[in-house]
Amino acid sequence: MMIMKISLSRFFTFTFVLSSIILSMMMQGFMDDPLTERQVNDFQLLNIDNKKVSLSNYPNAKGFIIVFTCNHCPFAKLYPQRLNDLNEKYSAYGIPLIAISSADTLKMEDDSFAEMQKKAKDENFNFPYLLDADQSTAKNFNAQRTPHVFVIWKENDKWVVKYNGAIDDNAAKPELVTVNYISVAVDNLLEGNEVVNKETKSIGCKILFR
Amino acid sequence: MKKLLILLFSIFSVSVYAQYNTLWIPDTLSGTNFNLTIKDTLKQMIPGQQTVTEAINGNWWGPTLIFNKGANIHMNVTNKLQDTTTIHWHGMHLPAIMDGGPHQKIPPSTTWMPYWQVSNNAGLYWYHPHLHMETEYQMNMGMGGLIIILDPTESALPLPRTYGIDDIPLALSDRRFNSLNQIQDVPYGDSMMVNGTLRPQTNVPAQVVRFRILDAGPERSYNIGFSDNRTFYVITSDGGLLDAPVAVTRYLLSTGERIEILANFTGQSGQNVTLKAYNSTLTQQMPGGDVFPVGTLFYNGLARIDFNILRLNITAQTSSPITTIPTALTTNNFISEGSSQLTRNLTISDTNIAGIPGVAFVINHRLFNYDYYNYSVLLSNTEIWRISSTSNFSHPFHIHDVEFNILTRNGVAPPSYEKGWKDVVLVKNGETVRFIAKFDDFSDSLHPFMYHCHIALHEDDGMMGQFIVKSPTVGISSLSQQLPEFSLYPNPASDKLNVSFPNSTESSNVYYIRIFDAAGRTIYMLPKPQIQNGLDISGLAAGVYFLQLTDERTKLVNTVRFVKQK
Repeated sequence: MMIMKISLSRFFTFTFVLSSIILSMMMQGFMDDPLTERQVNDFQLLNIDNKKVSLSNYPNAKGFIIVFTCNHCPFAKLYPQRLNDLNEKYSAYGIPLIAISSADTLKMEDDSFAEMQKKAKDENFNFPYLLDADQSTAKNFNAQRTPHVFVIWKENDKWVVKYNGAIDDNAAKPELVTVNYISVAVDNLLEGNEVVNKETKSIGCKILFR
Repeated sequence: MKKLLILLFSIFSVSVYAQYNTLWIPDTLSGTNFNLTIKDTLKQMIPGQQTVTEAINGNWWGPTLIFNKGANIHMNVTNKLQDTTTIHWHGMHLPAIMDGGPHQKIPPSTTWMPYWQVSNNAGLYWYHPHLHMETEYQMNMGMGGLIIILDPTESALPLPRTYGIDDIPLALSDRRFNSLNQIQDVPYGDSMMVNGTLRPQTNVPAQVVRFRILDAGPERSYNIGFSDNRTFYVITSDGGLLDAPVAVTRYLLSTGERIEILANFTGQSGQNVTLKAYNSTLTQQMPGGDVFPVGTLFYNGLARIDFNILRLNITAQTSSPITTIPTALTTNNFISEGSSQLTRNLTISDTNIAGIPGVAFVINHRLFNYDYYNYSVLLSNTEIWRISSTSNFSHPFHIHDVEFNILTRNGVAPPSYEKGWKDVVLVKNGETVRFIAKFDDFSDSLHPFMYHCHIALHEDDGMMGQFIVKSPTVGISSLSQQLPEFSLYPNPASDKLNVSFPNSTESSNVYYIRIFDAAGRTIYMLPKPQIQNGLDISGLAAGVYFLQLTDERTKLVNTVRFVKQK
């Protein structure tokens, strides 16, 4: 991304306006790479209870709400209660929630496995909180920020991304939320419909890939 | 129905956006020890979703640091971002190793501890990130802060100086937000902000009020004036007081530049006036005047229009108001042109660089290279830097380490408001600017100072160079190539760790100490640490650590393990 930024921003130095239009189109194309309706792979990651968790552990699941999050990000910190509520509501329909931390634990001590265990306990997580130690799962999903949510659905024994992006439209003030993107997406799917809003931008702290 | 909704929505938006927000005034921090923590955070900038920001101590920008000239100040800069950063003390005359340029990278979870004696004159300075290729991004995300230096000369003058009341700091900037209220990493915004406040207003008393104004970038210049075209008085340039106030009705301020101005609101209680940017006059060649089409990445939403900077509501006088503009301020002793030992010729151009499409804005026809020192300046040299631009765009040129006096612009002496100490000068397209500076006090054979265009994207793209200030008295040949030998005691240690040298004279020759943990994380970065009384390690968690010491003379490095116990 950094290389992209440099070579693209270099275009800015063009004297000709045309170049910047081309550039802008390229940038837009790069940024808005559609992530929806894309197949993702199962994973096997260590949960805070020291057991490995995979999607295949849930033979009856219709889909999942996969939340890439972390300990330290102030935006992610605003959501534990809402994640508990989502998991409680949708597990009953066969769509459990799984949280994954792909943070660089070497750089950020707050995101260590021990701190994840502590956080899950302190915040009474009712869902698994998995460590993506080599960041391969975040890369496979193309998770960008924390929190970044993927609603995935089982189609012909494959996992397909049906929604990705933010959780809702007001992180700090739950009482002012006007759209809960996840609920809308999951309800659409449960009703057998297309997801109306397949993608929003995830908002939060960048996941830095090693 | 849809039309009705759109209509209702537009009425709603207009009613929301017609409102002014109260100007936020950053808190101040005074003293000699400053703790700055940079972190990911968030701020309610627009109704609805909060905006993700990176800020220092709070959730936007950083505290205003108050220094006294002559004081020895110590900084603890802790990076709690998950990204590397640097903090540069813009305008400060200090050792290169303390300067916070692109070479002083602070990794995540690391505390950097520079210190220096404040030698700059009273005035407005600032601090901001300077990580090469990430400067624009980190500035856009909110990092930065103001520095106000006080000295006896300025304190003796009858000037307003009640912070936030009649002495108001204004960091000018602009941003573009996406539909989810998030900051876009673009050079031009469409939303003017002052101190991070969109559509700001503030109260000012009906007397002489001082505004300390910084163009905080990332790119735009501001052609500042008042909505009633009143005269205002420029009292400083970047590096402190001018000889006398200069009366103007407009002032073009470019990225990195600071001015302090006085405006007299005596007898105008109950009225209001707006500080504006008269940017409709800027040309395509001026930062902020260049037009790009809507929808492009470089769309300039505030190009070629006049727009509000800050609405001022004039209220009752304070108890002991300043009501007149002083006629004289100080007597500056500028550097005489005849004292120059040499002239350096620099070029600014739009140049084809191999491997890069199009033309690049560059200095001396080459891009910045971390490992290449463009100039070696002899300590105590007085030099004229002649910067000649063939670029089709204007660039604010900034130099670290020194303050300079502008000698000429295209052969003509600068206007009176530029006859002061400067560290940024706007070199207009096709212009030749000559300035003179004296490179005193701080030599360092390893750490360079930077010079660059202060438009963040341009410096990120490589419109930057670097120079070493070298001491003529140090010979290379006589240096031993022996690694620095030292031991640490007590070991294990709990609060204080002492460094001892078999040859006691080496103790004053420590160039750098870094402390790493067993996982290789840098915990402390200590440039030229004062180790006579040991190092405070009380903040470390129990465990195994490594102390890496760089010798001042040889710049050779050795590492010793120690154990921190509770």
